[in-house]
Amino acid sequence: MSIMEYNGGSVIAMVGKDCVAIASDLRLGNQALGISSNFQKIFPVTDRIYLGLPGLATDVTTLREVFRFRVNMYTIKEEREIEPETFAHLVSSTLYERRFGPYFIEPVMAGLSKVATGGFKPFIAATDLIGCLNFAKDFVVAGTASSKLYGAAEGLWEPDLEPEQLFETISQTMLNAVDRDAYSGWGVVVHVIEKDKITTRTLKGRMD
Amino acid sequence: METSFAITGKDYIIVAADTTAARSIVKMKTDDDKIKVVSPHLLMSYSGEPGDTIQFSEFVERNLRLFHIRNNYSLRPSAAASWIRRSLAQSLRSRKPYSVNLMLSGYDVTTDTPHLFWIDYLGTMTEVPFGAHGYGSYFALSLLDRYHNPEATLEEGIETLKRCIDEVAKRLIVSPGKYIVKVVDKDGTRVIEI
Amino acid sequence: MATAAVYSSPGFDFSNEIRNNFLASKGIPLPKATSTGTTIVGCIFEDGIILGADTRATEGPIVADKNCEKIHYITESIRCCGAGTAADTEFVTNLISSNMEMHALTHNRKPRVVTAMTMLKQYLFRYQGHVGAALVLGGVDATGPNLFTIAPHGSTDKLPYVTMGSGSLAAMAVFESGWRKGMSREEALTLVKSAISAGIFNDLGSGSNVDACIITANNTEMLRNVEMPNERVQKERTYVFPKGTTAWKKEEVRKLVVQEEVRLVGEAMDTD
Repeated sequence: MSIMEYNGGSVIAMVGKDCVAIASDLRLGNQALGISSNFQKIFPVTDRIYLGLPGLATDVTTLREVFRFRVNMYTIKEEREIEPETFAHLVSSTLYERRFGPYFIEPVMAGLSKVATGGFKPFIAATDLIGCLNFAKDFVVAGTASSKLYGAAEGLWEPDLEPEQLFETISQTMLNAVDRDAYSGWGVVVHVIEKDKITTRTLKGRMD
Repeated sequence: METSFAITGKDYIIVAADTTAARSIVKMKTDDDKIKVVSPHLLMSYSGEPGDTIQFSEFVERNLRLFHIRNNYSLRPSAAASWIRRSLAQSLRSRKPYSVNLMLSGYDVTTDTPHLFWIDYLGTMTEVPFGAHGYGSYFALSLLDRYHNPEATLEEGIETLKRCIDEVAKRLIVSPGKYIVKVVDKDGTRVIEI
Repeated sequence: MATAAVYSSPGFDFSNEIRNNFLASKGIPLPKATSTGTTIVGCIFEDGIILGADTRATEGPIVADKNCEKIHYITESIRCCGAGTAADTEFVTNLISSNMEMHALTHNRKPRVVTAMTMLKQYLFRYQGHVGAALVLGGVDATGPNLFTIAPHGSTDKLPYVTMGSGSLAAMAVFESGWRKGMSREEALTLVKSAISAGIFNDLGSGSNVDACIITANNTEMLRNVEMPNERVQKERTYVFPKGTTAWKKEEVRKLVVQEEVRLVGEAMDTD
């Protein structure tokens, strides 16, 4: 049994037209025994960055605390909010620092980054457990259902989805993938990030 | 085998833990209290490695007491849970980690709400409506999925708890004999007889 | 210490090692990191160096990234291809790139390829192969074109044409049959492209597109995706779901634009 499967859980992020979405399941387990159906793995970092932390649950909480601390320090020192690209490198360096004794987490982030003209550009990224960055233009996945999420997303995702379409696509990808994974599921939460609002929806999912 | 349950109700939490202290195959004691009152509205039920449980629970108790003395108010349940979780997560990265699983049940007097936190020795923490540790959890959790009612009165809550205890007694091979049951609500903590 | 420090000491943090060994002792093996099962090559031609790489990143049997960049920047006229543990190639080249810039600034000269090579091999040797980076380093400096390979344990080779990664055998076969001394730029680029293609099509760890980088004495040309033999075709149909397909239980909207409504209270002031 791999340590990445000890608690279960999966996260996915997708790019849309002027928007991004990030979704996770809500299960916390102890191997096969389900403990909680309301274990949040996605956390807001700034108004326009959301971070998903699938993996070992103790490290989910620990890293959440570490990143909140480091982002706060960045904000105070720089007197501005951190940009998604910068934050991705912060995540990467934080994990690589522990190259020879890693946190068992594969972070996924989604956000909107400011562009010089004043608008926003969709941004998603993921890293492995030692901080190797993967900037994708379509979608990124991680967690115990990652192999299923790759397949579902590869088939369902297409470019330039509007926020409502993106919500449906990411929701269906997530729901169908976690139904084929024993360690993920027990509810799904989806965040759709747009330039002026973030919509968070809790989906009706299978509870088995 | 060590077993503990906790159930939240409308304005209370009931906590039950078995009272056996075992060593190898021998029952050493049958009146061991494994639910510590760590502050006026906080109960901590614990199980795990015998020495570690006592050491860690007293460490928690005294630190929460110290906080109370210094600041003249107690940590709220969520804050206390975060602190305890962090202590365990830090301990896990030391040469000899504490092997203690616990549930923290607290009544938040500022918002008049009960809170229950499930925490294991790795530092995994989650807030739950009901929780269980040990082999009893395999029976109790499915039972609580069916019978737990967040709006239940104390009497109804105790009935649900009895169902859990009976089920474990009926189905677990090495079931614990006696349980100690405590309640935390707006009036603080107290032991109840079932 | 789980507490994050702002000014943490430089270098790696081994504090989780104890915990992970403890977990491993309970029979839980360490999980795999992203690796670049790769084809990377380099060859010397008449007036410089050409480096080549595929663009597939793998995580076990899964393709984690279909179009990643494996030719890393060291200095303007030195580049480095990386194979092995992806995070290691990324961070080790980044570190050496910084140090090369500092080196150039302190000595007020354009730094040499051997300098980068020495820095890399000494760093990798120090970590006894645990930093899993297999590199192809190439560039042009005051001494002319230079091409090296650096293995994860810190050993190096200096050759006119080199290959590395899981597709190195396929690529080397192409070099062995096609490389000649003093090739022209076009000949060399064609050879590099076919060497990488050999890796892409014959090695499972390599795939997707061809990246190349041509370095000459006074110009560096990065040819990103110079060949794309595996482009995804247009989907036959779309799979956009109609609105309302997914049932949801709860919705919460966090508005980032604060809305304010100004309402006049009482009679408007008489301004006549």
